[in-house]
Amino acid sequence: MAQRLALHRLLSLPARGSLVSQGRAFGTSAGRRSTFNVQDGSDFQDRVVNSPKPVVVDFHAQWCGPCKILGPRLEKLVSKLEGKVLMAKVDIDDHTDLAIEYEVSAVPTVLAMKNGDVVDKFVGIKDEDQLEAFLKKLIGA
Amino acid sequence: ETCCCNYDLLVIGGGSGGLACAKEAAQFGRKVAVMDYVEPSPQGTSWGLGGTCVNVGCIPKKLMHQAALLGSALKDAQHYGWNISQPVHHTWSVMAQGVQNYVKSLNWGHRVQLQEKKVKYFNIKGSFSDPHTVCGLTKAGKETVVTADNIVIATGGRPKYPMDVAGALEYGITSDDLFWLKESPGKTLVVGASYVSLECAGFLTGIGLDTTVMMRSVPLRGFDQQMASLVTEHMESYGTKFLKRCFPTKVEKLKSNRLQVTWKNADLDTEETDSFDTVMWAVGRAPDTKTLNLETVGVKTNSETGKIIVDASEATSVPHIYAVGDITEGRPELTPTAIAAGKLLAQRLFGQSSELMDYDNVPTTVFAPLEYGCVGLSEEAAVQRYGSDNIEVYHAFYKPLEFTVAERDATQCYMKMVCLREREQRILGLHFIGPNAGEVIQGFALGIKCGATYPQMMKTVGIHPTCAEEVTKLHITKRSGLDATVTGC
Repeated sequence: MAQRLALHRLLSLPARGSLVSQGRAFGTSAGRRSTFNVQDGSDFQDRVVNSPKPVVVDFHAQWCGPCKILGPRLEKLVSKLEGKVLMAKVDIDDHTDLAIEYEVSAVPTVLAMKNGDVVDKFVGIKDEDQLEAFLKKLIGA
Repeated sequence: ETCCCNYDLLVIGGGSGGLACAKEAAQFGRKVAVMDYVEPSPQGTSWGLGGTCVNVGCIPKKLMHQAALLGSALKDAQHYGWNISQPVHHTWSVMAQGVQNYVKSLNWGHRVQLQEKKVKYFNIKGSFSDPHTVCGLTKAGKETVVTADNIVIATGGRPKYPMDVAGALEYGITSDDLFWLKESPGKTLVVGASYVSLECAGFLTGIGLDTTVMMRSVPLRGFDQQMASLVTEHMESYGTKFLKRCFPTKVEKLKSNRLQVTWKNADLDTEETDSFDTVMWAVGRAPDTKTLNLETVGVKTNSETGKIIVDASEATSVPHIYAVGDITEGRPELTPTAIAAGKLLAQRLFGQSSELMDYDNVPTTVFAPLEYGCVGLSEEAAVQRYGSDNIEVYHAFYKPLEFTVAERDATQCYMKMVCLREREQRILGLHFIGPNAGEVIQGFALGIKCGATYPQMMKTVGIHPTCAEEVTKLHITKRSGLDATVTGC
């Protein structure tokens, strides 16, 4: 319901063409600009590797149970940081080559990226405190 | 990205045999590449890395079989004190999503394994341009050329469509599609007498769907026919409908979107018709070699089956080109034999081994609602090879303990052991119908591989209370004509 309202509001604004037409997933209305689904390799290059802001990359899969818990949890904390950190979501079945390139083996795998480099990483589910520390380190460092 | 590098080994086909061979070769520090590509089915179904077993065979089959067994268990549960409101309902989409998600995790797992073992992966449909060169197009349309010192063809097979039935291709599905359906197949007609047909019809019945099997001739050709009849008899009492000695003539689509199937009944010499939501063809599998370009390089195939002819070392008619798995002529179409053959081939090519694959006494199981496991010769094969006077068949009808309280019918629970009659009375074949048949037969396969004899089996103490223990107690011969029903304690 919240997603549809957010989309409706977005549609009444001057067209943000790419966001609407490519059907990116929206979190809460606060998080809708901090989190995005990676579309392809060049999109990853543009919005993650070349991002001026640090990015957490959430490698996930629809068949992965823990991913469904970690994803929203991480998204919520990222959105609280109001744009200081962005979150990129990569479905490893859609973007297998990208996942392999970044040496993902188990999911969820979360990378912290700054200036195109992987500066931190964790695999598996983490609680809110652990995620907050992870994000704090990324912004602070 | 064009690649023109030389590999020690190129494997065409990323299924059970291909992946096992590639990973084994990589262990020897060789430069190995795998090409895998799935041509979508006529209905448009496609899948990831891992081959038939992982995606549209063993794995989803066994999981859906388990779903059906759980349905029966829920019915039994009441007798054991559980309060479960009957009737119990099944939701296809929940099962399908669970199964499909697991398969996708396996696709990923295989991809990661190749990466970890440093095997190069190409998602392209390869075809030979010369005996050491295979080329193909990537999904993006880029031409890729790969050369290799050794090439292993492991492209497997795909379900056949009947060519003489109008509407078969247009309106029917196969096992390639069944496991990937998002919605229930509904009232289903499964055409065929193969284990694919019986296993699929079995679990469809078990989850509550109106299911019919149409067979033109005998069930499970090639298997022991007494056991095959017991399997189908059980399925009939379980609720699967059978149209025996019938073959379809046409499939038409109705306005309601249902399928109208017309068939000939060979016994009554009549033509009959009925409507179904889904028609599934399970009339055999055939290799897809057309696009491989085998004639260009001279790899000989069997003119009837289209399968690649190999010798005992899996070598084809062309030096340095080998083949393993379902695509090879005269081999069992099973995952474990493909894997073993693939590994041994890699060991012979790169590991200084000379061990050949042993295709004798390969155990297998038909996962029908009442499972049938076997190892060794069927009774008819033993009679043909040794003569009925030279073999002894010990048999028993038994009742699994778990069936008693649940008031389940055990009429088809049966086992038999075919032995040589003379001297040490070596066991030639063991056949078991009952719950967990695969688990039961697996251990005995070791004994038979080691040349176990009837006296040795009789010296083996059974585990109590199990169904398997009845194997160690088999003593009534067919020859005696005595009643073969055995009771428990």
